[in-house]
Amino acid sequence: MNRSFLILAGALALGAAIFTGSFFTARHATVVCCVQPADDLSWLRTEFHLSDAEMVRIRELHEGYRPKCAEMCAQIAAKKAGLDAALAGGAAPAETQAKLNELAALRAQCQAQMLQHFAAVSQAMPPAQGRRYLAEMQRLTLGSHEQIEHSMPGDASHEHHHH
Amino acid sequence: MKEPNKLPDDPQLSGLLRQARVSPGLPPRFQQNVWRRLGDAEAAAPAGSWLDSLAGLFLRPRVALAAAAVILLAGGLAGTMQGRQLARQDAQMNYLAAVAPQTVR
Repeated sequence: MNRSFLILAGALALGAAIFTGSFFTARHATVVCCVQPADDLSWLRTEFHLSDAEMVRIRELHEGYRPKCAEMCAQIAAKKAGLDAALAGGAAPAETQAKLNELAALRAQCQAQMLQHFAAVSQAMPPAQGRRYLAEMQRLTLGSHEQIEHSMPGDASHEHHHH
Repeated sequence: MKEPNKLPDDPQLSGLLRQARVSPGLPPRFQQNVWRRLGDAEAAAPAGSWLDSLAGLFLRPRVALAAAAVILLAGGLAGTMQGRQLARQDAQMNYLAAVAPQTVR
C-alpha cells in the first residue's frame, strides 16, 4: 500500500515536472519566435489577414500619421507640465480650471485626429476587416474612458444594476 | 433379560465410550459457503488493490513512456497556445503604443 502510494506520488510529481517544463519551454519559444518588436504593424497583418499591397498602403498612412501624433503628444505633455506646475504653485481655481480646459481640448483634438487615422486605415482594409479594426481600435482607445465612467457611482447604468 | 447395570468405573464401558466418538455431518452447502467466504474476503480485504494495480501499471516501461509522451505533448501544446496569445497581446500593445500613446487615451 505504502509502496504503491509512493510510486503514484512519484509518477504524479514527475508528470507535473514534465508538463511544467514543456509548457514554459513551448511558451517562451513561441513568444520569442512570433513577436517582432521592430515592426509596429505586425499585429495588423496577422490579426486582420492583410495582403502585402494593403500593408504597403497602411504603412504609408502609419508613417504619415506618426509625426502628427508625436507633435500632439508633445503639446499635451507641455500642457500637462504647466498644469502640474500651477497646481504645485497653489494657483487660483479659475486658472487651474482654464488649464484643465486647455488640456482637455488638446486631448480631444488629438483623439479626433487619432480616430481619423483609424478610419483611413480601416478603409485601406477589406470592408469586413476594416469594420472590425475600427470597432477594436475604438474599444481599445476610447473604451477605457467608458469603463471608468461606468464605474462611477452616479452612472445611470451602474445604479440600474443595484436596483 | 435385562443386562445388569454397569458401574461408571467399568473399564469395558469406559473403553466403549472412548471409541464412540460422534462425528457430526457437515452442514448443507458447506463447501460452497467456504468458497464464497474466501471470495468475499479476497474482495474486501485489500482496500488498496486498485492503488497497487495503478502503481503496477506505471511501472511498466511502455505505459510510463506513453504517459510521459502524452504529458509532454499536452504541456507543449498548452504552452504554444498561451505563447501565441502573449505574442498577439505584445504585438497589439506595440501597435497601440505607436498610434495611441497613453497620454491620449
